[in-house]
Amino acid sequence: MACRDIVEMVSDYLDEALPAEEQAHVQAHLSTCDGCETVLAQVRQTVHLLGRLEEEHLTDLQRETLRGVFHDHVNG
Amino acid sequence: MDLVERLGPSMRRVARMFVSTDAVADEVVQDAWLGVLQGLAKFEGRSSLRTWIFRILVNIAKTRGQREGRSLPFATLAGDDLDQPSWDPSAFLGPDSDAPGHWSSLPFDWRGVPEERAEAAETLRVIGATLQDLPPMQAEVLRLRDVLGWSSEEIRNALDLTDTNQRVLLHRARAKVRAAVEAHLRSGE
Repeated sequence: MACRDIVEMVSDYLDEALPAEEQAHVQAHLSTCDGCETVLAQVRQTVHLLGRLEEEHLTDLQRETLRGVFHDHVNG
Repeated sequence: MDLVERLGPSMRRVARMFVSTDAVADEVVQDAWLGVLQGLAKFEGRSSLRTWIFRILVNIAKTRGQREGRSLPFATLAGDDLDQPSWDPSAFLGPDSDAPGHWSSLPFDWRGVPEERAEAAETLRVIGATLQDLPPMQAEVLRLRDVLGWSSEEIRNALDLTDTNQRVLLHRARAKVRAAVEAHLRSGE
């Protein structure tokens, strides 16, 4: 398999979502290929950075409305 | 209310994929919580609670969208680039070379960039902006997986995706965010 194919597999590789044989194949390729190893490191860091993003928040109005749904259910 | 707070923003975004306005999406989220409250006794724990909640949400959102006459094809939500290469083909050697498909020029290695810069708020802002521009299903799979830490299986079940679709959507989304981070870090060289 060429680098062009490996870069399409790094996300699955990182999640260990590939069949065992392919997982081993990608691992072997990465151990000898600086370019693909760089790409893997970058995808890994991208995932790390995504984990530092803050999730959006509900607006006060949305929160109040949903509180109402629960309140009505309990008292309904 | 903790779960409502935590799941709220993603529930709203998911609902919004299937219906036409933010206001309708808010109603769908309310209906979904009502459905959750009414069905809670029947929750069997075969999936995670949040997966189950999203299934109820997605069903309500799809029904509502159909009633509105807004039934978007999967490609509109998922993006029409799923079968395209995620990397610029010119980075690889052509078929006539001695190693077709291998790197013709090595990718830019941002590991030389100081950590303060790579990890700075500006980088996170670039990532946030990139997420806004992704096709909605790509963005949501990425958020659930990498921002909120759901498992792939939970995401697949929650959003009613096949295993392959979930993986491809995640791969495409990560590839685009990676490219955006690279462009950002390169611009400061």
